[in-house]
Amino acid sequence: MTAMAVLLWRAIRPPGEAGVDVVRGDLRGALARWTVAPAPEMRVVLDAAPDPRTRDWLRALARAGGSVRWSSSRPLGAAAVVAEPAVEPNGVTRVRLASVSGEAVSVADDAGAIDTLPRGGARELELGTVAGAVRASGATFTATSVARDSVVLRPVLVLGTAGWESKFTIAALEERGWRVASRVRVAPSIDVTQGPLGGIDTARYAAVIVLDSTAAASSNEIARYARQGGGVILVGNAPRSGSFAGIAPGRVGARVAGVAGAVTGSAPRTGLGGFPVSSPGAEAVVLESRGGVAMIAARRLDAGRVMQVGYDETWRWHMAGSDESAAAHRAWWSRLVAAVAYAPLVPRESGLPSIDETPLASLVDALGSPTPMPARPAAPTDNTRITWMLFMLIAVSLFAEWTSRRVRGAR
Amino acid sequence: MGLCVGPDAWARGAECGEVNVPPTRFPILDSRFPTSGEFVFATAQYESGDWDSAPLVPSNLIDSLARYTSLPVAPTGAIVALASEDLFRFPLVFLTGHLPVRFTDAERTNVRRFADRGGMLFVDDHNHDIDGAFHKTAVEELTRAVGTLSQLPNTHPIYSAFFKFPDGPPNTSHELNGWGDNLVHSHLLAAMRGNRIAVLYSNKDYSSEWGYHPDNKRFLAIDNTKFGVNIIVYALTR
Repeated sequence: MTAMAVLLWRAIRPPGEAGVDVVRGDLRGALARWTVAPAPEMRVVLDAAPDPRTRDWLRALARAGGSVRWSSSRPLGAAAVVAEPAVEPNGVTRVRLASVSGEAVSVADDAGAIDTLPRGGARELELGTVAGAVRASGATFTATSVARDSVVLRPVLVLGTAGWESKFTIAALEERGWRVASRVRVAPSIDVTQGPLGGIDTARYAAVIVLDSTAAASSNEIARYARQGGGVILVGNAPRSGSFAGIAPGRVGARVAGVAGAVTGSAPRTGLGGFPVSSPGAEAVVLESRGGVAMIAARRLDAGRVMQVGYDETWRWHMAGSDESAAAHRAWWSRLVAAVAYAPLVPRESGLPSIDETPLASLVDALGSPTPMPARPAAPTDNTRITWMLFMLIAVSLFAEWTSRRVRGAR
Repeated sequence: MGLCVGPDAWARGAECGEVNVPPTRFPILDSRFPTSGEFVFATAQYESGDWDSAPLVPSNLIDSLARYTSLPVAPTGAIVALASEDLFRFPLVFLTGHLPVRFTDAERTNVRRFADRGGMLFVDDHNHDIDGAFHKTAVEELTRAVGTLSQLPNTHPIYSAFFKFPDGPPNTSHELNGWGDNLVHSHLLAAMRGNRIAVLYSNKDYSSEWGYHPDNKRFLAIDNTKFGVNIIVYALTR
């Protein structure tokens, strides 16, 4: 009777071969079972990266002392997606995604499809509005992300001499949505000002643009602002004045002329003249070169950033370029400012949708690297069948013995 | 037709629209491109009418700009064809005349693009006559090109961009003498792009008021070109 009881128990609850419980496909039932009675080794065979709930459940089983291992019936695509607020005033959400598996990736939010990458790869999207979370889905994964913070953007301060460059720089930023404060010199003791003017610090300005030498008297204040975390853009030969040379990414080279007619072409900035960034420092990063000559470079300065832009007549691009040049000029200036701006993040309120930005990496983080598939998958159904057969054999034998005794009148 | 610049511009009279004033009175920019950072006063040349009716205004305003401000300014002005791509090298362009104005399609398109891209066209009615041919045709053409011209409030920043004009546009001697339409125009007209003036239109005949040799400013009790400085400073800063 004891043997029958054991066989019946094993038939009802098959332990698998050598204590290994292997589950394929839907894990829900197995997870519930393992939670009640964990197997010595729990092994899952996946055909896609599990959702965060399933992954966390498996992780919990592993942390509870069980041995959880995983493998996949096909290669799982490694993908990542992240959505974050762009440091620009137009409220854009910047979505960056990458997939290395080569499988098609579709990008969508709760409102519908946004884009498709037929063969994966990397893509950066700027989305004006995002409904819910952004999802990047392939055959073997679904990565989701949502912008969790919003940025605080303070005004940009523009300092320079009244002229087309100052006018069009201010206009470009304003038309892009930036709040601009400016102080442009018209005569030795006369400045034309606009916007909130005051001490130059990070509580007041997101960035300071120095267009020429008129801000030399404020160079120490501006350098201190940069060290405190502010963003500074030095244009043209401005680094030659005041103490700007000490914070600039490089020295100011000899002026170069633009290529005639290029401002209307596909590389319009080659048509602009300017002062190249000469001898960039070791900490400088060259962001744009022209014919081997650096035209834009940037560096970190303590908590802040300083950018040196050689072009000092970008207004020609705005005015004399192609029909798209005005918009391109605005976007370009806005991106320069965004690259250096002091923009503190403020967490958004709770209630954000759950995210899973790196499904495969998170799975490896939770359960470790995949375990190779066993050469011969365990066949729990065979064991169960044998157990049942033994159980039935013993039961039939006992019944036969009992029947024989009854027929023979024996007790 | 392109930009009428260079020392040979006067010799190329026909090509440059039969420029018939001597260089000493109407200087021409001598460069293929304005020097970086310098303000260049540009006068629009258009196919119809007499675009060159106020040849002394540029040098007079250049003189005033150099006199009152520290802005880098080219010592000579430029003439730019309204239909030319060169128009976009000069974000402030002065246009005047007495005769009917009929823009060609290319001129109209260029004026529209110019205004949309951030340029400012300053148009002055040299007739000082709202019943005159220039006013009627110029307003019609400008309306077709850039939209309706409406009265500019006398509190607009252009009246305080450098000098203060609390009463709006300064009156000209031609208005006060009763010439032309015998009216004192209390407002200028403007077509806007956002909060920026794209076309500034005047019936006050500043072309006559400012049309004298700069040296003769010394005979004036009050320099009457100060509002011209405001227009330029406004264009350079707003």
